[in-house]
Amino acid sequence: MERTLANFIQALRNAEVRVSPAETLDAVTTVELVGYTDRQFLKDSLALVLPKTADEKAAFDMCFDQFFRFEEMRRGGEGQDGQNQGEAGGEESDQEGGAPGEGEGGAGGSAETTDAKASGRRKAKGKPKRRPNNLMDEAEEEEDLGPGEMTEPGSALGKLLMSNSRVELSVQMAQAGEAVNVREIQIFTQKGLYARRMMDAMGLQELNQEISDLGESRAVPARRLGQELKRRRDWLREEVRDYVERQFLLHADVSGKRLREELLRKVKLSNVEHRSFRLIQEIVYKMAKRLATMHSRRKKVFKRGALNLPRTLRNNMAYDGAIFDLHWKSVKIDRPRVFAICDVSGSVANYARFMLMFLYSLEEVMPKVRSFAFSSDLAEVTQLFERNSLEDAISKTLHEYSGGSTDYGQALLDFRRNCLDDVDNRTTIIILGDARNNYGENRQEILKEMYDRAKRVIWLNPESRSAWNVGDSVMRTYSPYCHQVEECNSLMHLERVVGNLLKQAGA
Amino acid sequence: MPDIEKITASVDAIKAACEEYRYICSDQIATAIYLAYHLRKPILIEGPPGVGKTELAKTVAELFALPLIRLQCYEGLDEAKAIYEWKYGKQLLYTQVLKETLDEVLQGARGFAESVKRLHEFGDIFFSEEFLEPRPLLKALKEEDGCVLLIDEVDKSDHEFESLLLEILSDFQISIPEIGTVKASREPPMVFLTSNNTREISDALKRRCLHLYIPFPDLELEQKIIHARVPEIPPELRRQLVAFIQELRELDLKKVPAISETIDWARTLLLLHSETLDPDLVRDTLNVILKFQEDIVNVQGEITAITAKVKSASR
Repeated sequence: MERTLANFIQALRNAEVRVSPAETLDAVTTVELVGYTDRQFLKDSLALVLPKTADEKAAFDMCFDQFFRFEEMRRGGEGQDGQNQGEAGGEESDQEGGAPGEGEGGAGGSAETTDAKASGRRKAKGKPKRRPNNLMDEAEEEEDLGPGEMTEPGSALGKLLMSNSRVELSVQMAQAGEAVNVREIQIFTQKGLYARRMMDAMGLQELNQEISDLGESRAVPARRLGQELKRRRDWLREEVRDYVERQFLLHADVSGKRLREELLRKVKLSNVEHRSFRLIQEIVYKMAKRLATMHSRRKKVFKRGALNLPRTLRNNMAYDGAIFDLHWKSVKIDRPRVFAICDVSGSVANYARFMLMFLYSLEEVMPKVRSFAFSSDLAEVTQLFERNSLEDAISKTLHEYSGGSTDYGQALLDFRRNCLDDVDNRTTIIILGDARNNYGENRQEILKEMYDRAKRVIWLNPESRSAWNVGDSVMRTYSPYCHQVEECNSLMHLERVVGNLLKQAGA
Repeated sequence: MPDIEKITASVDAIKAACEEYRYICSDQIATAIYLAYHLRKPILIEGPPGVGKTELAKTVAELFALPLIRLQCYEGLDEAKAIYEWKYGKQLLYTQVLKETLDEVLQGARGFAESVKRLHEFGDIFFSEEFLEPRPLLKALKEEDGCVLLIDEVDKSDHEFESLLLEILSDFQISIPEIGTVKASREPPMVFLTSNNTREISDALKRRCLHLYIPFPDLELEQKIIHARVPEIPPELRRQLVAFIQELRELDLKKVPAISETIDWARTLLLLHSETLDPDLVRDTLNVILKFQEDIVNVQGEITAITAKVKSASR
């Protein structure tokens, strides 16, 4: 069963729940404690150990339901007769090497295990005619032999099918799946292939042989068994198909997603298709989160503020209590102040969208982002972001300001009039634009003014360097007044620029 | 002394025991206590404010009849306030006093080396337990029969402080450079950490804890909670007011009312001797459940509609 758990954790990881080896060990001890008897209990317990954020909990719920569905059917099928407690408890310790099956009912510690196991087996044998539930309604086309004695099945799979032990069956199925590497499944056309291989691995051939043998038999009990086995074989086939389907969803789907993510990080942002926006957003959040954790720890010890008396005294004891090495209480976290000026005209709008998304996702480490949007006239949009959700704010910004032809001169004029005074030597100004000014006035003298006042001016140009200064692009005019000029057209570029920005803030 | 064995035997037993202390918990919460007790792991509790995170730790302390040691986190909290502190004043005082006796100690000592040797014989008395002021974390470890340690609002502390917690959380021990490692007594403390999610807790800390997320309760659970906390309130009114709160949580508010607000409101309504919820009453007592003027203004218009809905549903 530990392998099942390991597979489950693998599936969780694929679903972006981060599970460390330490947590895997925790999960193993947890399972030893709670057992597999009570599905809900197991789910609640693992939900405490494995997923550690609200998002991860949601992913965990989904994964668990898909992965442990077999377990649920078992309970559905046998839950009523109240005996499954002992049975399952017994079987479990069987597989787990004596872990106490202490479930809600508090059934058996290891001392009672043997007993529970024995009774479990007996009970399982005592009701061999119970059929899997989903077969109840099926029309029976074969000759009606009525209920009655049946012979014992000969093949291993036959025995298993007749034993009514779904746990055993699910274990077998998982093992067969393991044997044929069902987790390697990549594309959906392989489903049938894997299902057949799994059936073979579970001993289908032997079973088929037995069924046909039994069918030719004269004895009624034998034929009866033959029919029953056939029915159960078909049912098993369905189950296996289901199993493969689930494995496909759990494993193949995500590897495809990972591939897509990897591609999207590198693709030019303007080429991103609309349907990928959601995915991009996820990536942006992820990247931003990484940057945030990387940079949220830096602090600067300040030489001002209140005296830290205990520490000062302690550190000065060596000097006979004469206080001359002073320690201060306040520690200041250094955060960059960012002004983002985005060209949101048609050609650059998409880049602006992602940059704003990126900057605002970094709220934790960059609480002071002010943003401005322009195509011809420039306006501050910071408030939009304060009031609305990120997505709404971005689409509103793009909607309201993207009309009109690009005019960098006018935008710079507006910026000077509105908020140049707020720019100080701690401010970083990021300008995102292609510097295609429609042959209008450039007003680079305003940019120079900004350059003089601000800590840094960074120009991000989504066009590749070869296209700069061609046509109406006036990058050459502006670039002397920037501390840094970068080509920036993919998420990777964006991550690098923002990462550097945060790094320099600490220096 | 409560029978801890019996209480922790199963999830249902824990639920029942908590109920006796008027804390109604969901399966999730009870499972968390069960695991925390049996696996000896700390629980990190997250959830919106006012859903009973702190209350849970208090209840568990009562349940097991253990002392509750609470450490309230805030920005700038450091090891001197959380783990231990030298009684520097006492140390200073003693050095001053002992100065006088130094001559006696050193009497007859020849040369510098011998003097230092004699002083060494006294050991590090100034850095012994005598001069150690234990703070909550150390206190919790030293508690003989175990205790419940509540580290409240850990998200308010700094990142560095989280790292300080790691040792105590994983091994129930603390290293003090001058003394050595202090290990937990026989019974390690049951540790509860709460967080309001104002910032992301580091993975290292999360890894060492069980992670319990307490959401707002559903209608049924919240009714039970109100029943447990304010038993005097008439059932009809209870149903209406809980339904009302549940409706409010659906609205887009700056701060949605939590369980603690529901309880306060129930008490308020009880005090006003009201039998049923009517719009005027709600309007007058709205400030009990909503804490922002903006929210109150927003909800004002909806009151009539919601009360009508709540009433017709309960009938």
